[in-house]
Amino acid sequence: MTLSLFDQFLSPALMGVPLAAAALALPWALFPRPTLRWVNNRLLTLQNWFFGQFAQQIFLPINIAGHKWAVLLTSLMLFLITLNTAGLLPYTFTPTTQLSMNMGFAVPLWLATVILGMRTQPTHSLGHLLPEGTPTLLIPVLIIIETISLFIRPLALGVRLTANLTAGHLLIQLVSTATSVLLMTMPVLAVLTATLLFLLTLLEVAVAMIQAYVFVLLLSLYLQENV
Amino acid sequence: MPTSPVKTRVPLSSFGHLITEVKKQLFGIKGPSSVQLTGWRKYFNSYTLQGRRNCVLATYGVLGATAAAFLMHKQNKDGRQMSASTH
Repeated sequence: MTLSLFDQFLSPALMGVPLAAAALALPWALFPRPTLRWVNNRLLTLQNWFFGQFAQQIFLPINIAGHKWAVLLTSLMLFLITLNTAGLLPYTFTPTTQLSMNMGFAVPLWLATVILGMRTQPTHSLGHLLPEGTPTLLIPVLIIIETISLFIRPLALGVRLTANLTAGHLLIQLVSTATSVLLMTMPVLAVLTATLLFLLTLLEVAVAMIQAYVFVLLLSLYLQENV
Repeated sequence: MPTSPVKTRVPLSSFGHLITEVKKQLFGIKGPSSVQLTGWRKYFNSYTLQGRRNCVLATYGVLGATAAAFLMHKQNKDGRQMSASTH
């Protein structure tokens, strides 16, 4: 069977049974559960330290009312980081390369921030659609532009994550294919492409973590505007 | 990472807001106070929060009314064309 470059992004199935749910449930199995002990083991302490640092970083500029979102955003961040980095292992499926899944994260969360803003402080939310000091003639134009940019946000959130991960995986596949093909015919060039592959993999690990952070950071910014 | 010279409470998620803050903080260009706004400018301006809210609502209202008028006109036109073709 001839494989195309995009077969790695197909949703996995075993004898007709979709395995996407198993792929999404994997991060839950990888992390230790908090215990009732006074002093936990090193892994749990490290995990708790990471959560504390992350939550402090993200929620420092947000009002107290927005701190209710701490558990949601911290768990989302951990989920995305795990899916992204686990997807870099060979022959694994990366759920965050599916636009449907990323839009499934982006649209409801963005909409929740907008509805929250409209419910708790409607004047602020509506007033935010027009920058202060806009010349009179430009007011309707700018309102339309700001409204369009508001509705583009969830699309940008989802597509950013999908595109970054998909592009990275494709590049890795292309360069690794080139390396394996060149290994027999031009070994020196194969060494160069192998070096490129190594550097690219390091880059993709960074991109995987950064993109998860950016997704959650942008959501926290949208929350900050509306709370 | 270089920090912005402009200090803001609300994150600047649009270029327009950034320009406003730059004008205010770096160049000292401030808008008129609420007392100086009279007449219709008191309710529709881009300086006070309420003025901006009213401008947004007015723009949405005008767009909504235009869309409704266009759709009704289109419906009437389709209805007239249907009745002309059956006769």
